[in-house]
Amino acid sequence: MNLERLTALTKLPSVVIASLLLLAVVAFAAVNRLVNRFSEQELALARHLHERGQQEQRLGHPARALEDFRAALSYDRGNFQYRLSLARALRDSGRTDESETYLNSLWEEQPQDGAVNLALARLYAREKSIDNAIRYYHNAIYGVWTSDAESRRLSAHLELTQFLLQQNATQQAEAELITLALHLPRDPSVLLQVAGDFMRTRDYEQALFHYQETLHLAHDDEAALSGAGQAAFQLGRYRLAYDELSAAVRHNPEDADAKQALQLDEFVLRSDPFERGISGAERDRRVRTAFEAAGKRLDSCTPPEGSAATSPAPLESLRAQWRAMKARLGRLRGRNAESPEAIMDLVFQIEQQATQSGQICSAASDIDRALVLLAQSRGDEGMRDQNQGDAHAGAAQ
Amino acid sequence: MSASPVTPPAEVEVSAAPPNPQTWVSWFSLATTFREERFFLLLAVFIGFFSGLAVVCFRLAIEWSKIAVLGPAPQAHDWRLLAAPSLIGLLVSVLVIHLFPRARGSGVNQTKAALYIYNGFIPFRTAIGKFLTSALSIGAGHSLGPEDPSLQIGASLASALGRRMDLSREKLRLLAPVGAAAGLAAAFNAPISAVLFVIEEVIGRWSAGVLGSVVLSAISSVVVMRWFLGAEPLFRIPSVAFLRPTELIAYIVLGLIGGFAAVIFAKAIGYFRPRLRALPRWTQYLQPALAGLIIGLIGFFGAPQVMGAGYEYMDQAMHDQFTWQMLGILAGLKIVSTTLSFVSGTPGGMFAPTLFIGAMLGGAVGGVERLFYPHLTASTATYALVGMGVLFAAFLRAPMTSVFMVLEVSGNYSIIVPVIVANTFAYVLSRSLQPTPIFDILTRQDGLELPSLEEQRERTVLLVEDAMKPPVTPALNAEDSVDQAMHRVQDSLDDVFLVRMSPSGWSAISREALKKLVGEGKGELTLGSTLPIRRLPHLHPDLPLEVALRYVNQSAVLPVVHRADSHNLVGVISRDNVLHKYQVAGSEEAG
Repeated sequence: MNLERLTALTKLPSVVIASLLLLAVVAFAAVNRLVNRFSEQELALARHLHERGQQEQRLGHPARALEDFRAALSYDRGNFQYRLSLARALRDSGRTDESETYLNSLWEEQPQDGAVNLALARLYAREKSIDNAIRYYHNAIYGVWTSDAESRRLSAHLELTQFLLQQNATQQAEAELITLALHLPRDPSVLLQVAGDFMRTRDYEQALFHYQETLHLAHDDEAALSGAGQAAFQLGRYRLAYDELSAAVRHNPEDADAKQALQLDEFVLRSDPFERGISGAERDRRVRTAFEAAGKRLDSCTPPEGSAATSPAPLESLRAQWRAMKARLGRLRGRNAESPEAIMDLVFQIEQQATQSGQICSAASDIDRALVLLAQSRGDEGMRDQNQGDAHAGAAQ
Repeated sequence: MSASPVTPPAEVEVSAAPPNPQTWVSWFSLATTFREERFFLLLAVFIGFFSGLAVVCFRLAIEWSKIAVLGPAPQAHDWRLLAAPSLIGLLVSVLVIHLFPRARGSGVNQTKAALYIYNGFIPFRTAIGKFLTSALSIGAGHSLGPEDPSLQIGASLASALGRRMDLSREKLRLLAPVGAAAGLAAAFNAPISAVLFVIEEVIGRWSAGVLGSVVLSAISSVVVMRWFLGAEPLFRIPSVAFLRPTELIAYIVLGLIGGFAAVIFAKAIGYFRPRLRALPRWTQYLQPALAGLIIGLIGFFGAPQVMGAGYEYMDQAMHDQFTWQMLGILAGLKIVSTTLSFVSGTPGGMFAPTLFIGAMLGGAVGGVERLFYPHLTASTATYALVGMGVLFAAFLRAPMTSVFMVLEVSGNYSIIVPVIVANTFAYVLSRSLQPTPIFDILTRQDGLELPSLEEQRERTVLLVEDAMKPPVTPALNAEDSVDQAMHRVQDSLDDVFLVRMSPSGWSAISREALKKLVGEGKGELTLGSTLPIRRLPHLHPDLPLEVALRYVNQSAVLPVVHRADSHNLVGVISRDNVLHKYQVAGSEEAG
């Protein structure tokens, strides 16, 4: 075939098309290889920059972290994790509007993603947008997590509780804690935190329970001992409180809170005439001590000289009752003219009234505080007895 | 016979296959099945494919160059921001002056020159030069974009491919715009905008053949580009909306401000470019380096966003990541830096900088407007998007492309009304303050006489109705006898009379012919029987006058008839009428 014919042949459309196809395949393969290699390098670069950004963030250089995250994203534009990191960094730098824009776009892509919801929740928590924060915390709690889902959900739930407590939404916080408590892992640190949160919501029963659960797993945990003691103390279970607080102080003599609570607890225990197992003489001594303390407390309740204020009427009435009882006790020394219950009822009334009239009464001494606590404890017991009685009556009917 | 559908020239075989005795060749050969039109469409697909691959490589080259010279995460106060654009500027100037002289300048104009002057020829060396020098300069931070070079690379590839084929001159000429559309579509990831731009700015006319090949090449290049680089649009557009019609006022303000900015930008380029080119030759080596140094200084002292194409920063602007003050500053600095880069002769395009300026300006104007009118609902992204369209319409003077470009990159049709309104105001203002479009300014500065497509669009098209005269003598009918006809025309001053044929069509007969027929004793015959079968072409009043020009030699007068009734004569037109009208129009334009 001579050159002329060959040239003519190459001009045939079919030959041209076949040549172009061949060339296209070869070029496509070459570019594909090139792009793949370049993409790998870019992805590696993006990973490096992202890691550097995270490190900068940990070191407290949010501006540098932002630049690194942005650069990482320029090499791996759609990367969800990098965008999330950038959004978090923006949020932590106080650029909440930008952060919100990023997070919202991420949320639109994956509304079920736990990490995005948590980031949004934190953003709104930072902005004090309570409803939005709660909404996204809940989304995070029930959302999808790529790894370690249970602990992340638990962590989000605990964070939500903390947020609610910070906002003084104790009822909502308690509701969240009760839900959370249903599926708690047997982890002392988690149990301890939940117990502490219950303490903050004033649900001392649950707090005591979780402190005790913690102590089952970590017998000598000083924080749990102290917490259990304080919860028991708040519940009026002073003997239990004494045991726990004593143990806590033994483990950590520097624990000032535990020591102070223990001191008060001892006062309460020493002042309680109704404690089981004490002798009659001891009971009488405690009743007398309480009666004298109540008298002193009454004496301190006098309006300052020159003041136009007068003593409240209930206080005056109690003063009269105390004096009358004092007189009766003096006349019938050595004989049981008055029952301890009657005396202690008056004592409790005086202490409670004096506490309420704090403006004109002096500061309560340790024994006064102990007597007030005993009064509350007796009141609670009375309430419980009455409730139980009602329940029994209802059941009988 | 109607003259409007002008018969196309006979289709030409792609190539005449030499007689070949070998049966496998004749079996394999599909020569007879491929007419040039179809082959051209197929070729357009290949052009798109190869252009797509080239643009992918070009983008990788820019990225690679950027990482290599500026580092993976360039930040302000980095010495590389100063060194890279100036040193690379020096290197690029040496390459342009000694190896790739055609790499300098606008790819759009070079493609137009290929179409109108060089029969579709663009040296392949230009593609290589544009690829290398643009990748280096954009990667090093010169304030230029990759779209114009991509357009030219596509055109150059198409030209190189076409030269290997046996194509007619017309097709060869069209190859460059076809390749240009492919290159631009891949660079923008926006095929519709690319097609429109090439039709609007390069080819300047619509025809099914051209449109088909341009569309095919654009689509195939975008498919290839998306295959490799993903289908993500250039920008991650947050949700944009247009809620209240009263807010159009805000967009009108944006259109006007954008129009002014575009005029400043165009005037700056038009003023400095010829002056810098007129400086001694040795300064041409230093101009890109000096421009790079100034841009580097801008970046070094806190605005690295103006360096390079800047797409990522447009994206950030749309996501409220800059204050309106910063957006305004960036728009101003980008005008300065792009002007410097472009007038210094650094290869690269102005599409991306135009969009950048528009986005920043739009965001800034939106920010200021919302400061005074907080009830405005539009987001920064909306203003930035509209701003892009505004600058595109006002600076590049491609109003239709600007609208579709915004729609394509945003994927949101709810902002079409603000975009059209703002673009119109910007376009009109820019045209009134700067009558010559930027591409035409550059063309004239380069000493070329390319057709200004904006001027062409604006030029009045002369129609048949502008030149025709009302029929003075009533038309004769084919059923009339020669005697009757003679009687009817005896008072007329005309020499030729139109005859309404039956059942349709027109013919003409002269006074002399009538007299001759009467003299021959044929006065009783009908006119129809004496006239030739061949009919005269008839025209309609709304046809372009150039159509009439093709037929006026066939008869002394031609009938101009109503479109709804071809027997209804609304006027007559002669060669003299047509020429006179052209003369009048020519002297009016010259005056």
